[in-house]
Amino acid sequence: MRPALFNTTAFRLSVGYTLLVTLAVGVTLGSAYLLTESLITDEVDLIIDTELKSLEEKYARSGVSGVTDEINLRIDSWGRIGAVYMLADANFERIVGNVAHWPFDGMPTEAWPEFDIATIEPGRRAVHPVRAAVRTLPGGDLLLVGTDISQGRRFAEKFRFATLSGIGLSTLAAALAGFWFSFRLARRVGEVTRTCQRIMAGESGRRLPVAGANDEFDALAASVNRVLDRLEEQAGTLRATFDSTAHDLRAPLQRLRARMDALLLRSPPLEPAVRDSIEGALRELDHLQRTLATLLQIALAESGTPLAAPAAVDVGELAAELVELFEPVAGAQGLQLACSHELPAIVQGNRQLLAQLLTNLIENGLKYVPAGGRIEVAVRKLADRVSLIVSDNGPGIAAEDRSRAGQPFVRFGGADKQEGSGLGLSLAAAIVRLHRGRLALESNEPGLRVVVDLPA
Amino acid sequence: MAWFNLSPVQVLLIEDDTEAAGLLVRGLRESGFTVEHAADGREGLARALQGQFDLIVTDRMLPHLDGLTIIERLRARGSGTPVLVLSALGSVDDRIRGLKAGGDDYLTKPFAFAELLARIEALLRRRPNAPSATRLQVEDLEFDLLERRVTRGGRELELTAREMKLLEFLMRRAGQLVTRTMLLEGVWDLHFDPQSNLIDVHISRLRQAIDRGSDHPLIHTVRGSGYVLRSDN
Repeated sequence: MRPALFNTTAFRLSVGYTLLVTLAVGVTLGSAYLLTESLITDEVDLIIDTELKSLEEKYARSGVSGVTDEINLRIDSWGRIGAVYMLADANFERIVGNVAHWPFDGMPTEAWPEFDIATIEPGRRAVHPVRAAVRTLPGGDLLLVGTDISQGRRFAEKFRFATLSGIGLSTLAAALAGFWFSFRLARRVGEVTRTCQRIMAGESGRRLPVAGANDEFDALAASVNRVLDRLEEQAGTLRATFDSTAHDLRAPLQRLRARMDALLLRSPPLEPAVRDSIEGALRELDHLQRTLATLLQIALAESGTPLAAPAAVDVGELAAELVELFEPVAGAQGLQLACSHELPAIVQGNRQLLAQLLTNLIENGLKYVPAGGRIEVAVRKLADRVSLIVSDNGPGIAAEDRSRAGQPFVRFGGADKQEGSGLGLSLAAAIVRLHRGRLALESNEPGLRVVVDLPA
Repeated sequence: MAWFNLSPVQVLLIEDDTEAAGLLVRGLRESGFTVEHAADGREGLARALQGQFDLIVTDRMLPHLDGLTIIERLRARGSGTPVLVLSALGSVDDRIRGLKAGGDDYLTKPFAFAELLARIEALLRRRPNAPSATRLQVEDLEFDLLERRVTRGGRELELTAREMKLLEFLMRRAGQLVTRTMLLEGVWDLHFDPQSNLIDVHISRLRQAIDRGSDHPLIHTVRGSGYVLRSDN
């Protein structure tokens, strides 16, 4: 299964990283903005305060007429750009100033009230925001001094726009970089995971891709590939050893068999007694041959060589077929053999080996369960695996012996008299391991329960 | 085995174990075959390409050229001669099993000579591109393959699906020896040897259904080897 991009460590890291970048840029630019804005207003406020003070001093020295002259002078001389003055009486009627009407509803409550004035500039009407302060003069008249703050406002607006764009752009850039980064990382890790899965699934010749970027991923891929080469080489050596061992063992068996066959084919035919003993010897040879084949199979399965060319096998169908195959034999022994299965119950594996697994488990039951008993094969399909349970109501295996039961040549409960190599369960366990599954022996109360779990 | 007396069947045996080869050659000659022996893969392929053989029996593991490679080279040269591969125990893999699909066969060593003869016979009788029959008949036993109906002397027999498959396998090889391993492979697709006498029990059930109450039993046991379905007349 390929994990979704959102579910990768890289993605989570880059989301966190993006948030961090946004926060850092936001704090930096935001505090710069706030600081600048307050600096601008502080300066405006200082100027207004200074002017108010000087006009109040003028009033103290030369009364209303002095202040009026002073205001007119200041308006005419354009002493300060954007300056607004007004002297009004107690009823808010204008005495002098460059504002047409008292701009507030009565006395403003805040210390630094703001209002808009409309001006006619060449070709257009404009509205200018003004920040002001009002003082009540000792005679009851009202003195207003203000400053056109439209320039500062425009500056602040631009600053705010730049700040927000800055935050937005850096978030976007960080998110894009993070997405790209996590996508690339997920893709490369995904490649490694997929390749490993395919190797596990039997494509032993497959290797991790080396991008040629000489980065840490290439280094990792190269090391993993070296390990895989080693493993494949070892598996190859192992296989060759098995092949030649099998070859060396079967050669004398083959000759023995051929010699005995030649005796049976001789004319004139042998005496019946001689013939019988030769046939008996041939049966022993069959037994020896089967034991040898099973041992080699166990050794091969246990050697860790991955399953060659696995294919989809319906374990439910296979179980039904084998139960049908064994049912007459079980019936002849006075045993009931039943199968319950869910279709399809697909496992990636080797049909012959899985059939051998089922055969061994069923034959194990046939060997140990006394007449009148019952053997059940159940196949269940679970979310990501297939459960195979072969249970019987025979003598079972004592709890302390169960761990020993998977080992070669271990037999229980007087079964030594009976035919069989004692390899049945160990081959079953080896086949299950080869399919990356688990095999457990449990008590069926009474009887034996072999629980096999195979990944789908 | 009258069928090969008309003209002797030419068999090429490729086997590097000289003692086993000697025994096989003798056994095959005694059974009426004309046998040539090659001791390694390269020589085997050369002989196979020169001579006119009806059948090739080759070991899987050979010096110089592997048995499966010999088949590949033969097929590449357009030769359709059936090949029987003798493979070592413990190494029956899918490549070997795949031989059956290509019209060839394999046998796991060690094997009984009777098994080898039965396989050789089956390979020689196999007719490539034979028209697929819709009815099989042996004496008064008839099998309608389309309707899946089996009658003996006009009386319909009740058989399970598996019994029908087993009967079809035997009827298609009527008169030939069919071994237990051939039945396990052909009818159940099992390429290993279960310990129990499974096949005997299934055959005896089939025999019950077919030969019960008949004067002419059709299914015969060949001692120590297998079964043959044939009319005794």
